[in-house]
Amino acid sequence: MFSEQAAQRAHTLLSPPSANNATFARVPVSTYTNSSQPFRLGERSFSRQYAHIYATRLLQMRPFLVSRAKQHWGGGVQVKKLCELQPGEKCCVVGTLFKAMPLQPSILREISEEHNLLPQPPRSKYIHPDDELVLEDELQRIKLEGSIDSSKLVTGTVLAVLGSARDSGKFLVEDHCFAELAPQQPAPTLDTDRFVLLVSGLGLGGGGGESLLGTQLLVDVVTGQLGDEGEQCSAAHVSRVILAGNLLSHNTQSRDSINKAKYLTKKTQAASVEAVKMLDEILLQLSASVPVDVMPGEFDPTNYTLPQQPLHPCMFPLATAYSTLQLVTNPYQATIDGVRFLGTSGQNVSDIFRYSSMEDHLEILEWTLRVRHISPTAPDTLGCYPFYKTDPFIFLECPHVYFCGNTPEFGSKIFRGPEDQRVLLVAVPDFSTTQTACLVNLRSLACQPISFSGFGAEDEDLGGLGLGP
Amino acid sequence: MADQLYLENIDEFVTDQNKIVTYKWLSYTLGVHVNQAKQMLYDYVERKRKENSGAQLHVTYLVSGSLIQNGHSCHKVAVVREDKLEAVKSKLAVTASIHVYSIQKAMLKDSGPLFNTDYDILKSNLQNCSKFSAIQCAAAVPRAAAESSSSEKCEQSSLQVSSETPANNELTTNGHSPPTSKQIFQQPKGIMGMFASKAASKTQDANKETKTETKEVSSTGNKPPGKGNVMSNFFGKAAMNKLKVNLDSEQAVKEEKIVEQPPVSVTEPKLAAPTGLKKSSKKAEPVKMQQKEKKRGKRAELSDDETKETENMKKKRRRIKLPESDSSEDEVIPDSPGDYEAESPSPPPPPSPPPEPVPKTEPEPPSFKSSSGEKRKRKRVLKSKTFVDDEGCIVTEKVYESESCTDSEEELKMKTSVHRPSTMIVKKEPKEERKVPKKGTAALGKANRQVSITGFFQRK
Repeated sequence: MFSEQAAQRAHTLLSPPSANNATFARVPVSTYTNSSQPFRLGERSFSRQYAHIYATRLLQMRPFLVSRAKQHWGGGVQVKKLCELQPGEKCCVVGTLFKAMPLQPSILREISEEHNLLPQPPRSKYIHPDDELVLEDELQRIKLEGSIDSSKLVTGTVLAVLGSARDSGKFLVEDHCFAELAPQQPAPTLDTDRFVLLVSGLGLGGGGGESLLGTQLLVDVVTGQLGDEGEQCSAAHVSRVILAGNLLSHNTQSRDSINKAKYLTKKTQAASVEAVKMLDEILLQLSASVPVDVMPGEFDPTNYTLPQQPLHPCMFPLATAYSTLQLVTNPYQATIDGVRFLGTSGQNVSDIFRYSSMEDHLEILEWTLRVRHISPTAPDTLGCYPFYKTDPFIFLECPHVYFCGNTPEFGSKIFRGPEDQRVLLVAVPDFSTTQTACLVNLRSLACQPISFSGFGAEDEDLGGLGLGP
Repeated sequence: MADQLYLENIDEFVTDQNKIVTYKWLSYTLGVHVNQAKQMLYDYVERKRKENSGAQLHVTYLVSGSLIQNGHSCHKVAVVREDKLEAVKSKLAVTASIHVYSIQKAMLKDSGPLFNTDYDILKSNLQNCSKFSAIQCAAAVPRAAAESSSSEKCEQSSLQVSSETPANNELTTNGHSPPTSKQIFQQPKGIMGMFASKAASKTQDANKETKTETKEVSSTGNKPPGKGNVMSNFFGKAAMNKLKVNLDSEQAVKEEKIVEQPPVSVTEPKLAAPTGLKKSSKKAEPVKMQQKEKKRGKRAELSDDETKETENMKKKRRRIKLPESDSSEDEVIPDSPGDYEAESPSPPPPPSPPPEPVPKTEPEPPSFKSSSGEKRKRKRVLKSKTFVDDEGCIVTEKVYESESCTDSEEELKMKTSVHRPSTMIVKKEPKEERKVPKKGTAALGKANRQVSITGFFQRK
């Protein structure tokens, strides 16, 4: 791991200055391909309905589900469409799930005058025991009941259910299955340790100064200023840094200028301007030393709908001078030294968190992998571009490292698929609150968190450093 | 000795200037490798403490190492005060590095000032921030300024190309939103232009700019509008509004709009108007238009090329777009005539209208052509025409008619003027026919007269 490797060299810095100081060369980029092309939008037209995205999603996922259904329930299971259902006959149906949630915020209900409802306050979870599941295929829909747990499923999931139709018009479910993991290319074998640093949620412009020192320490470690020679040598093996969203803080999105009178806000600058300047300086330091990929997040100045387009280079006049800086989309997909990375800035996972009973972000991440779709809740509760030809969020190939940013805490897990796929799941924590980043070792496909801390007046014990009992 | 120099320097910084000396600050100030700076600090501390054990020096250290936490081995990097150093070291399973982080005279309550010191020195050394670092990256080469600006242009053009060459997700209905928004954006300018200046030509120009922007294809190029202005001088104010109508529906989605500026601005002084305001707004418009024009797509360019020759032949085309398109049989209109509220039908038939109205309006231009070329005397008479239209509504309309030599021309003019009101009626309720004359008037143009509040908005 990073630490062990770093500790292997002798400590030299608590000694009088020596004439020669070692300088390490950054590991060169051996292979890198950016495969985020499906997430780049050209000219955008919003005059389409969103029904097309569901239609193409079902169309693309159907073959995967049919083969999985046959694997699970035997080759003889009948796969039928809803229009062909006979009551009492046991068969398997493939369709898209819709969860009818009474607590789901509905704009129509809000503005409906007959109800005179006040807008619903935001909640952390919108699930309710009365949620109902409906399965829709190309032509019809049918209510589901039986051994299917609605709290773990969300709208937009494509799945196969085994059961039979009742006379009441509902479908009694005995079992269900997902598309599971896509086929995976074997991971390459590397001879030296190479690391990729994943950070998310830098939260600049947030007003709190504590995380700034942590950010500076992070940059110093990666650029080789901090630490002893061993650590610097290990840091030279960091071949890439991926900033997974929320580079600016939530506070930069204040809407004062809209609500206040013009004469009050005329001379004030948006909070994001200062924050972007700070971000530019940080990116300059990083890109002068290591290739950086910058993904936009929920609070960053780019479009709101998924897939988020890259930040514009005009915002980073200092940093774009270096070709090592790359501004990429959210979600982001790339092959770094032969290892396939795929990740998002966390909007997909947090949206599923709101509409299901799953608590752990890592668990949700795993679930999206099993469902073979990055964000099934788009476009229902998560903003999405109205695709109509293909749904780019479907996993066509299984990645080796699958991450999501801005989770409340760090989590990492190796997940094994049915066809021997091996995926490293990483939940990258929000740096502004946890001061923790993730180091992924490409050789061993393991992840180590790296955390930073300063000291404060209240740290009489070592609790602040996380080193307490 | 040379070694002693740095000791004196550090002594001066810490004791005399009461600075917080971090390793990074020292490295930039003395121009040494970071590790050497760390070692210098350590050396200074040791010597000072040896000499004078009561020395008022507070030191912070950086400790890093691994720690088992929550089941995984976490790498910790921490800046700690000297008194906590041993405690922290003992907690770490593996200690990767320890070195001096900073020296200062006063005891620090928290690590805020450390960050500030580092930030300040970094700001002043942004361009060579990794000069003294222990890691050098071969790939991080700053692009030359020319390269970066050209890459910006490439990016911009590639963005435009990518937007021009619609990806699989494209429908031509895309054309809807941009023109609408542009039109709405430009119209206030047109209105403001009208308020700002008094000359009718101003409005003509402004409207011309507005309309030409929002129309699609079948460009005119620079000549007709320019010529229109020139010819307007021949005809005087009365004739100008007629030209305005003509040029209303001109479409010049071309970059030569800027070339057009000189003839337009040339006519401006003649027509006595505030040039500054108009020019700047117009120049802003063409620039924006240029951008948008680029994005318009190859469709525009293709059809431009097609129609260019025919346009060069004609000086002016009287294009009353919508009624014509309604009456054209081979025009592909997705909706009924009742739909042409704004520019909605425009996008689908972009390639078709250019050749279409070309032959259609063929009869029209000769009238002007002949008039300009031959210097015929033409009287423009305001006549009141009453007729019964398709739906059995009696329509009274005041139209300008020019008495020209051939009956056919006059006929055609009448036809077109009749077409317009009839199609308008089809669209609106019969009871609104009183509005029709007004609108017809406005559309056909009366010199300088604003008949109704909607007179600003030219019918398209």
